[in-house]
Amino acid sequence: MKKFFAAALLVSMIFVSSAAMAAEKLTVYTSMKDSLIGALKDEFLKQHPDIEFDAYVAGAGKLMAKIAAEREAGKLVVDVLWHSEVPDFYQLKKEGVLQAYKSPNAKFVDSPVEDPDGYFTPARNGTLGIVYNTRFIKTAPKSWKDVLGADYKDAFGIADPALSGTAYGSVAALAKIYGWEYFENIQKNGGILGKGSGQVIDDTAMGDLVACIGVDYITMGKIKKGATLAMAYPKETIVLPSPVAIIKGTPNLSAAQKFVDFLLSKEGQQIIANNYTLPVRDDVTMPADSPLPKPHDAVVNAIKLDFENMSSQKEATIKQFKDIMRPGK
Amino acid sequence: MTSAGGKKFGMAEFIFLLSVLILVVIVALPVILIFWTSFIVDGHLNMKAVMDTIMQEETFQALKMSIMIAACVTVTCTFVGTLFAWLVTRTDLPFKETMKVLFTVPFMLPAFIGALAWKMLLSPRAGYINQLWMAITGTRSALFNIYGFWGIVIIETMYLFPFVFIQVSGALERMDPTLEESARISGAGLFTITRKITIPLIMPAVVAGALLVCLYSLSHFGTPAILGTEVGIYTIPTMIYELIHQSAGSFTAIRAATVLSVVLVLSAAIILYAQNRVIKSGRFQIIAGKSVRPTVLKLRGLRMPLFILCCVYLLITVVMPTVTIFLVGFLNTYGLPLALENMSWENYRYVLFEWKLTKDAIWNSAYLSLSAAFVTMIAGGIISYVLVKLKVRGKWFLEFLGMLPFSLPGTVIALGVILTWSGRFGVNLYNTAWIIFVAYIARYMAFSLKSNSAALEQVHDSLVEASRASGATPWQSLRDVVIPLIRPGMVAAFFLIFLPALRELTTSVLLYGPTTRTIGVAIYTLNEDGETVYACALAGIALLLIVGGEILIKRFFEKKRRVDNGGA
Repeated sequence: MKKFFAAALLVSMIFVSSAAMAAEKLTVYTSMKDSLIGALKDEFLKQHPDIEFDAYVAGAGKLMAKIAAEREAGKLVVDVLWHSEVPDFYQLKKEGVLQAYKSPNAKFVDSPVEDPDGYFTPARNGTLGIVYNTRFIKTAPKSWKDVLGADYKDAFGIADPALSGTAYGSVAALAKIYGWEYFENIQKNGGILGKGSGQVIDDTAMGDLVACIGVDYITMGKIKKGATLAMAYPKETIVLPSPVAIIKGTPNLSAAQKFVDFLLSKEGQQIIANNYTLPVRDDVTMPADSPLPKPHDAVVNAIKLDFENMSSQKEATIKQFKDIMRPGK
Repeated sequence: MTSAGGKKFGMAEFIFLLSVLILVVIVALPVILIFWTSFIVDGHLNMKAVMDTIMQEETFQALKMSIMIAACVTVTCTFVGTLFAWLVTRTDLPFKETMKVLFTVPFMLPAFIGALAWKMLLSPRAGYINQLWMAITGTRSALFNIYGFWGIVIIETMYLFPFVFIQVSGALERMDPTLEESARISGAGLFTITRKITIPLIMPAVVAGALLVCLYSLSHFGTPAILGTEVGIYTIPTMIYELIHQSAGSFTAIRAATVLSVVLVLSAAIILYAQNRVIKSGRFQIIAGKSVRPTVLKLRGLRMPLFILCCVYLLITVVMPTVTIFLVGFLNTYGLPLALENMSWENYRYVLFEWKLTKDAIWNSAYLSLSAAFVTMIAGGIISYVLVKLKVRGKWFLEFLGMLPFSLPGTVIALGVILTWSGRFGVNLYNTAWIIFVAYIARYMAFSLKSNSAALEQVHDSLVEASRASGATPWQSLRDVVIPLIRPGMVAAFFLIFLPALRELTTSVLLYGPTTRTIGVAIYTLNEDGETVYACALAGIALLLIVGGEILIKRFFEKKRRVDNGGA
């Protein structure tokens, strides 16, 4: 008993001492999956070995909830924010949380959204297409309306827009071109409200769903590992920029600016392209086996969204979507 | 520090004051701030906003669902837990010592990992069992669809029943068998003995266990989140989670979430009141200072069927989901058939040796749960002593305070802890491991109080009086008489905290910083991010850690106990 207590005390003390050691570091909050942010981090640290880098990876909704809690607490830990829900950035800009920074690399950026004041800069253009399981769907869908067919009955999934920024963007985009009745029809066809943006893709790979609206690089990562998935891009492309922004008052401003510069640099963008998502620069080489449209074509064919006013409609949009999709309604 | 006696007394007083301080600062303050945030808007009491939230149709549905699930789970857990506890302690079931250990294994399996495994086994279209069933019968309908009300109830029962099992089997072992024997000698039949002696004697333990299950289920997030939301079933905790994730940078949704938690606090108050009534109506002290082995009931013809029942139950609740988790952890990517050519050690290697996220998570969970369990066990033991043995007015309120965080969803405890410990009172623990540590103490104090007071209630006052009459100081009689007798209760408290804390999810998911992820957070976020195979690999490693750690600790205690007995 005594020995055991001593051991427990020892562990507690190790815990105390390890908690006390906290060095200065750059903290990035991002919704980019570990495969992508990990690759970027490795290269960034190669260029700046003196910076201690930490990434906190979670869905956009979780990141914003965490920032909300941090703001309430009066202590922001985040230095750089990078996720896929553009409206949030307009909102944060309006609330004065962001630090303006015009990176020398910003002039190369080609994206459907731009903040002339430089409070945020798109660092990646996420694309969403129809991800389908080739064991169940034999002919590739060509239009967003194809998923209303019998092949997709009871097995077409959309991620939860409250959790995922890309899901929110795609809901807003599809509602814009087809109206809410599009989702009513999906619901009538037994469409399923999933959870995170990655989970619907895994459910599709497993066969719980036959298809879903899926994010490019998450899907491609699974295809690379042997998943029986394929990606189809209807002509009306859902392009969702993922802006990066520096938080006002960060004690690590220069490290934060270096990271933004790096993200927008050709090297950074090449890593993004190599991970099968869309770079914001045209001067990088896309992998040969990528199903993605060319960076500039995607921007041209993108469903036009009023990102700036989307934030005021966000709560209502999510509520309306959920009211339609929630089973039993 | 001058005289030996003075030092000892000072120590006791110090620990007592510290414990009271812990209860007030770590437990009460966050709860008060949650209420404050719920009811006070811009410095004014705003009942309308509170009522608006509660009266919404969705909230009402979620509340109804929460209560229905908790009620069903409590009934099934009480039945299953008591039955198995009785079988392994008081009958001649084969291998019952082994079985006793095995029945605590589901307690080590985090319910949300169980839900994950069962989702992979029984999801209507792609679940492995359902696929097999469809292949055998040639139909397109599933054997059982795990999504929905009954799926949630079954999964929660599978993984929560050890709350009852541990409490009841402990009580049955500590029980003085001479009481039953004298009834038998006086001519009472088995049924009468069970009804009049055994059941009343173990009732406090049954109620304590059932209460733990009920409160746990009410505030449990993982299972309904995985098996309910996709078919439109929301409970209060999943509803709160939703609200918080719709906040998008505003604090109003978080406030609304704290309003919802107030509803749960009220439910907890009602349950606690009912429990108080039950325990008051029959308070027994059943450890009387003598040690006699309980008599064993011969099961005769039922021996083998009941043994098979136990084995099948364990096979279904433990072996099948565990095997599923491990196998899927080997897959190159989720969705591939479970064939050898699709498997490799790659996921395990990556999770264990390469990925900083998962390596951090394992270490964080290990030290956080050990230190939180240790501190909470000690503090809870001494607070229980005040509650059970000292007659203080208003101590019911103190107990309620201790039970309060347990009835709040971990999410709301997290919020309360954030509100308290992020600079408002000059201490900012935000984004450090400390804030999770503090939240764990708040969250698990109830386990410690329940377990310790159940043990203390069975220690007869005469033992303390005897030692006091022989000239022992209060501290000496506590140390030499009470603590050795309640040690099983304290050890139980330690495990009741350490094991859940090791895989805790709901609280830490809102508190973790970039380097303070816990195992539960890592697994859940990996799953939510669609990294199912990594989630399974990490879950597999976590299961090995949890089981291995528990075996080691149990060994240690058993050896120690043997030494103690040998010396006595």
